[in-house]
Amino acid sequence: MNPEDLLFTKDHEWIESGKSPARIGISDYAQKELTDIVYVELPEPGTEVEKGASLVTLESVKATSDVYAPAPGKITAVNSDLEDNPQKINESPYGEGWLVELEISDSAPLDELMDYAAYEKYLKEEEV
Amino acid sequence: MRYIANTDQQKREMLKEIGVSSFEELIGTIPEEMRFRGELDIPGPLSEAELEEEFADLAKRNADFTSLKPLIGAGAYKHHLPRAIQALLGREEFYTSYTPYQPELSQGTLQAMFELQTYLARLTGMEVVIPSVYDGASATAEAALMSLRLTRKNRIIISSTLHPHYRSVVETYTAPHGTEIIELPYQDGLVAGPRLEKVLTDDTAAVIVQSPNFFGGIEKIAELAGLAHARSALFIQVVAESISLGLLKTPGEMDVDIVAGEAQSLGMELSFGGPYNGYLGARKKYLRQLPGRIAGETVDRDGKRVFVMTSRAREQDIRREKATSCICSNHGLNIIASDIYLSLLGTEGFYQTALLNTRAAHYLEERLVASGGFERVFDYPFFNEFLLRSKKPLPGIRASLLEAGFLPPLALGAFIGDESLENTALFCVTEIFSREKLNRVTQLLST
Amino acid sequence: MKLIFEKSIKGRVGYSLPADRIEEIRVEDCIPPYARGRKKDLIEASEVDVVRHFTQLSKFNYGIEDGLYPLGSCTMKYNPKVNEHLAGLGNFANAHPFAPADTVQGCLKLMHDLSVLLCRITGMDAYTLAPAAGAHGELAGILIIRKYFEDRGEQRSKMLVPDSAHGTNPASSAMAGFKVVELKSNKSGTVDIGELERLMDEDTAGMMLTNPNTVGLFDGRIDEIAKIVHGKGGLLYYDGANLNATLGILRPGDTGFDIVHLNLHKTFATPHGGGGPGAGPVGVKKFLSPYLPSPVVVFNGENYRLRDPGEKSIGMMRAFWSNFSVLIKAYAWILSLGGKGLREVSEASVINANYVLVKLKDYYRPSYDRFCAHECVLTGRDYKKLGVKTMDIAKRLMDYGYYPPTIYFPHFKPYAEETMMVEPCESEGKEVLDDFIAVMIKISEEARSNPELLRDAPHRTRIRRTDDVLAIRRPILHYDDELRLKDELNYRPEDINF
Repeated sequence: MNPEDLLFTKDHEWIESGKSPARIGISDYAQKELTDIVYVELPEPGTEVEKGASLVTLESVKATSDVYAPAPGKITAVNSDLEDNPQKINESPYGEGWLVELEISDSAPLDELMDYAAYEKYLKEEEV
Repeated sequence: MRYIANTDQQKREMLKEIGVSSFEELIGTIPEEMRFRGELDIPGPLSEAELEEEFADLAKRNADFTSLKPLIGAGAYKHHLPRAIQALLGREEFYTSYTPYQPELSQGTLQAMFELQTYLARLTGMEVVIPSVYDGASATAEAALMSLRLTRKNRIIISSTLHPHYRSVVETYTAPHGTEIIELPYQDGLVAGPRLEKVLTDDTAAVIVQSPNFFGGIEKIAELAGLAHARSALFIQVVAESISLGLLKTPGEMDVDIVAGEAQSLGMELSFGGPYNGYLGARKKYLRQLPGRIAGETVDRDGKRVFVMTSRAREQDIRREKATSCICSNHGLNIIASDIYLSLLGTEGFYQTALLNTRAAHYLEERLVASGGFERVFDYPFFNEFLLRSKKPLPGIRASLLEAGFLPPLALGAFIGDESLENTALFCVTEIFSREKLNRVTQLLST
Repeated sequence: MKLIFEKSIKGRVGYSLPADRIEEIRVEDCIPPYARGRKKDLIEASEVDVVRHFTQLSKFNYGIEDGLYPLGSCTMKYNPKVNEHLAGLGNFANAHPFAPADTVQGCLKLMHDLSVLLCRITGMDAYTLAPAAGAHGELAGILIIRKYFEDRGEQRSKMLVPDSAHGTNPASSAMAGFKVVELKSNKSGTVDIGELERLMDEDTAGMMLTNPNTVGLFDGRIDEIAKIVHGKGGLLYYDGANLNATLGILRPGDTGFDIVHLNLHKTFATPHGGGGPGAGPVGVKKFLSPYLPSPVVVFNGENYRLRDPGEKSIGMMRAFWSNFSVLIKAYAWILSLGGKGLREVSEASVINANYVLVKLKDYYRPSYDRFCAHECVLTGRDYKKLGVKTMDIAKRLMDYGYYPPTIYFPHFKPYAEETMMVEPCESEGKEVLDDFIAVMIKISEEARSNPELLRDAPHRTRIRRTDDVLAIRRPILHYDDELRLKDELNYRPEDINF
């Protein structure tokens, strides 16, 4: 996937723009900050989630990190390949390292998200 | 003050460099009215000589435990401990160090963990072993909680032959979760398969059975585990006397899912009940649900084989409220004690020790029964503890044993509040009893 | 270094049993076939082989007697030798926990008297000595809170825990069945009173707090906090992790706390043992004493005995009574210092920490620039842009012979990132701290002039940085796992024998 086609949250998650179901993952910056991801806890497909609910838990050697739903909806698919190959998130955060697919029930919260250019700018500002 | 380094002069210098005129200024954020005024009402300070005298006096208020030989076990076992254990544990690098978070400076502790994990895996037949939680009872409670998480069920069957303290701790730990606890009555000192079958349901998370059990009896673990599995419940075996593993089948061979053990027998003093050390063994697929620290093998930048704490994301400092347990401090030094103990005894020593325990226990049991003063309560196989009913009142027996230098057996009926076990004594015999001593006990109790 | 299993030589013996093994009793008659197992393969080594192995192993560890061990929040102070001796006295070490009460009056008196002293030190009314560690004490404490509300017929489902808290706080609350609500710290590193007022409600059982808190700061608004929590009927829990700053200065019992746990292996100088054993007594105000775990020690004027506190008790937390040998050492330490000495302990440790803070704050920008309690939180933030992480600074310290401070704890945004928490206990002298400060300044220069040196550190330790990712991706959790992978691992002799 091309990052230009994605929307980003301040917590460094991405979601496909203008699609439903839409894939969700974490940004390249996030995977670098987390360092090597060694375990992924994925939800059951079919689960209904609220905006802001924890979708996925990622574990590196010394930290765990939750990935939150940027919008409400139903999980239609999960990337179960990650269970055996969590390193794919590090290798290809925008591609093979996608996490779940969400059927969006209300897309209004997505209006607050950043496009790639805005996200890049946000990252620069954050670095102090 | 011998444990405070800086002199008053140095403290004044330091305060000056900090830029304050007094210590009070440093703690200025604490409002006056909250501060403690005056001096804490604490005796002392005692010089080292005074301290030694004080503690010698306290110790003298106890019976002379250095020479008393315990005929009691019940979860705390007196075995001979090679002196090398205490000598090695006294190395400051072991006993004063912290949890091995920095592997470059902690390979001693980490390798000892890895070695004990190996020993315990071999003794229990389990694929993965957490070498330290607090004790066998809390290990059992952690195993119970683990079974709730793994099965998402909330009912646990506990054998009535489980150590009463262990059972109480399981109840304490599971109380907040509203877990239904079913007590499984014993039959002739053991868990009976048909009785277990009757209470097993599909919503049972786990069956907890101790073997050798609190009465000393050896349970038919493989059969019981099979019954539990048939109803998709996990089977947890509790091992309170780990020396028994030297002689018995491993829990792994008997298809046990989780082992909750007490390692006190493997190198620890009785020490009035603690610190001992609990361990947890399980199938590898359950690793992520195990509480506590585990060491794993890896390499350093030069390719050397080294050890680190691993699978850390289960733990409270990383996972906070989602951790498998709140356990942080464990009983790390006791890990080293067991590693040394098992290394010294070795293959043959450990086997022979287990063998001698059971032989000595059976020797005394047969003699006491033959003496006519006691009768058997249960017809069960046992390891190094056995239950007999005394034909004479127990208090008299206790007095004569104490006088002759033996700590009396546990008066079981009174202890667990079971009238059908009135006047029964739970004996424990370990390798510290010679034939002569056992003959002496028989003689004392026959007259 | 070689594992003990790799040193085994067939036929060697490290232990001997009496010649008379009562062999006329046949094991076949004792143990039925369903239970009888094979001989377990351990090792074969002589006593001296084993003793040398463990002596070598010990040399791969770093202890307090090797040098400064400034681990923040861990209170790594000197563990007096005499206390080890006292705990080893034969009548204590060999006392059976089920021995009749009249044979263990010494043990029971010690437990009773220690409880009394802990009450006086912390301003509480009753103690349990059962918990085996701090987190075990927390669990007991939170279970007491749970039982108290249950007993009053109140349903409360939440527990407030500051974001700066130790991980054990939320973990203990969750284990005791509470939903954890995180309370954000404010700009000055303490509890945000407005936030507390907003979150504290009648569904909240209470709040867990450390004072001084985990960023090493005294919270002077405890009275306000207590008022808010108590105002909604909640209880205030004191995490005693940082008690070393408060002895004779600030007693939790006088400042609104209802329940406290202590870490005898921190403040009270009992050794950490490479992870434990410690002990985590829990003190409560009188109204909570019926809920204490079983048993408690009572004294009738003549004799001491163990008693069940009754049906309101939360039950047992462990088998038997306590980590007794740890209690002996803590009791001895308290008596060695006396009331005046205890206050001097806290004064000396607070001065030490502020001295380090003032000397290093220009090099390692602190999380909060104000006086600290017994530990200070510095950060490696300014080196991040040079590509040097706090981890690298910590590893470089090892090259200079120090155990590094606690790193990446506390950790919460935006104030506590890239943290290094330094706790120089009262047993450390000024000259020791001066040396440490000089080394820290030197490392800050190295970070600028030669960041690679830090990223690659340590260089002088017996092993280098470890591959923690590999340890997870290729789990080898005991020697038999290694044996199964022998061909794949392919270690060179020098990788194992060093």
